[in-house]
Amino acid sequence: MSLSGRLRRPGLRSRATAAFALGAALVAGVLAGATYGIVHHYLLAQRVSSVENEAFSDARVVKETLAASPNSPVSGSLSSVMPGKGTRSLVYRDGTWYSTSVNVGNQNLPTSLVDQVLSGNPAIQRTLIAGTPMLAIGMPVPAVSADYFEIHSLADLQTTFDILGLVLVLGAASITMGGALVGRWASGHLVQPLRGVTAVAAEIGAGDLTRRLPTTADRDLDPLVTSFNDMVTSLHERIERDARFTSDVSHELRSPLTAVQASVELLALFRGFLPPEGTRALGLVEQETSRFSETLENLLEISRMDAGAADLILEELQIGELVENAVSSYPHGPVPVVADAPASVTVIHCDRRRMQSVLTNLLDNARIHGGGATSVSIATLDHRATITVEDAGPGVPAGERSKIFERFYRGRTATRRNEQTGSGLGLALVAENVRAHNGRVWVEDRTGGGSRFVVSLPFGSDIADAGPGSPAEGGHR
Amino acid sequence: MATMKILLVEDDEPIRTALGMFLTQEGYTVIGAESGEGGHAAFERQPADIVLVDLMLPGIDGFETTRRLRRQSTVPVIIVTARDDSYDVVAGLEAGADDYVTKPVFGKVLSARIRALLRRASEFSSPTVWRFGDLEISRDAGVVRKGERDVSLTRTEFQLLCELASKPGWVFSRANLLETVWGYDYFGDSRLVDIHISRLRNKIEDDPSNPAFVLTVRGMGYKLQP
Repeated sequence: MSLSGRLRRPGLRSRATAAFALGAALVAGVLAGATYGIVHHYLLAQRVSSVENEAFSDARVVKETLAASPNSPVSGSLSSVMPGKGTRSLVYRDGTWYSTSVNVGNQNLPTSLVDQVLSGNPAIQRTLIAGTPMLAIGMPVPAVSADYFEIHSLADLQTTFDILGLVLVLGAASITMGGALVGRWASGHLVQPLRGVTAVAAEIGAGDLTRRLPTTADRDLDPLVTSFNDMVTSLHERIERDARFTSDVSHELRSPLTAVQASVELLALFRGFLPPEGTRALGLVEQETSRFSETLENLLEISRMDAGAADLILEELQIGELVENAVSSYPHGPVPVVADAPASVTVIHCDRRRMQSVLTNLLDNARIHGGGATSVSIATLDHRATITVEDAGPGVPAGERSKIFERFYRGRTATRRNEQTGSGLGLALVAENVRAHNGRVWVEDRTGGGSRFVVSLPFGSDIADAGPGSPAEGGHR
Repeated sequence: MATMKILLVEDDEPIRTALGMFLTQEGYTVIGAESGEGGHAAFERQPADIVLVDLMLPGIDGFETTRRLRRQSTVPVIIVTARDDSYDVVAGLEAGADDYVTKPVFGKVLSARIRALLRRASEFSSPTVWRFGDLEISRDAGVVRKGERDVSLTRTEFQLLCELASKPGWVFSRANLLETVWGYDYFGDSRLVDIHISRLRNKIEDDPSNPAFVLTVRGMGYKLQP
């Protein structure tokens, strides 16, 4: 889970930030590269031209000196040249090299340059001497049958290039950072309306269907706001229509059922006057009317909860008292209640009649599918109270444990439709009622066979305060 | 004892007939009416001992029927509703009903509710008068006086006040009161108590929102301030 979370695609804001940073980096990189290239080219060309001028004038000095006294030593003519700082001069004449510096000789000159000059053409070339960039230039001086060479240091130029490069790289990096910041800020602004939508959607999801997004003058946001609000409105209308339908169905079905119910009860008063078949038929009608009535009640209760029309009438009640009363008013035989004193005096906020329905349905479930409840126990742990109904029946297979809380789910153990069948809604109603109390319900194996239905309810401040002074006013909307 | 008379205000003919036959069989005299107006006319001709009112009626509805009955009588009223939404129950009780049942109602349940409401009227034995400040309750005469003024209480409101007055300062839980006043078990609807307390306060308190006699004990119930 956490691994896939980490590998998840980055969020909208991260992606926008990255895109802005990348764009800024591209622009800054191109600009910096172009600047560096142009400056490099221009400064180097300037230097080459000045080196050429200097070399030609130096060569002329050497030529004139050698021409004036053809037999004087070449080294003398070299000393008449006054090379600039970092410049070395060399002369080749009659197979011998002469240099102004002991450190620099013909071995430092690139061979291709020397070959070109010796074959009679002037040449210029960049080279590295001891890691320092140099510019080597050479030209034949045919008048005195010699060749003149100079080596100029480019170290100062290289320093300039290095500093320029550093400045450009730092500049590009800051522009990239700036781009990222702008991206973060801009995407934050873009995402802001989505936050509003999220907050309102959460409130609507929590049940407040009257919430709407505030209208906006923004042309780009308006369609979102309008369609969102329209969606909520139609949803609200639909829920209200469903609730009205429930109410109408309720009335339409209950009126005839009331007449049937009263008539059956009246008939039952004359049971003694009926032949045996009549008595059996009466029994069936009584039983089925009662089941119809129960199913209708459960169905309407569930529809009301779906429509959000069911209100809790919350009270502060001692859980032990609640459970004792629910179990003792259960019409099908006694069930032992197990509770230690501290757990049973725990006060929970609940709707007593809904909790009675929860317990009655769990006891019915145990009676119909588990051979009868063996015990009901109460315990408390970490601000949650649990009520556990146990039976010694066949238990619930692991694969059916969540399904049995679905409406009209008929499990493996209840495929025979006989008089022991419940309404098919009992456990679904249990789940709805427990959820309405912010609680949970589940089924597990009982030690020694059978099943345990556990209802876990929060106590303390975990459920809304009913305002016990006026639960009637506070209880309904 | 003469048979008790029940006025059954119900527009659905099969229900009126079936419930009427059942209650007759249970030993009551049943007078049927198919509208709120008809119910009033019947009540004026011959006051009943208890009135059953369906909430959904043509013409004036069950709420208004109850309200009008209340103006002229303290007769016990049970509303019969097909919609047990909070709104209907609360509005019905606030209109002055003593109790309610929901359709489809079991005849046995209905006759148990009727018995519980009728039983209380003749329960007192020893003569008792309680005084709390300017509030005077004569239990046997069924009279409550506030200062110089007679206070008109329904029988259920009166029963509730007597129950609280029987042990001044004692805190009665809602379940207690439901059992002693209405004859319900622990799982009666506690709104019955709350709405009757509120109606009672409106009649006997100088400032109903800041009561001096009937006090709420948070999380426990109600008590009468001695």
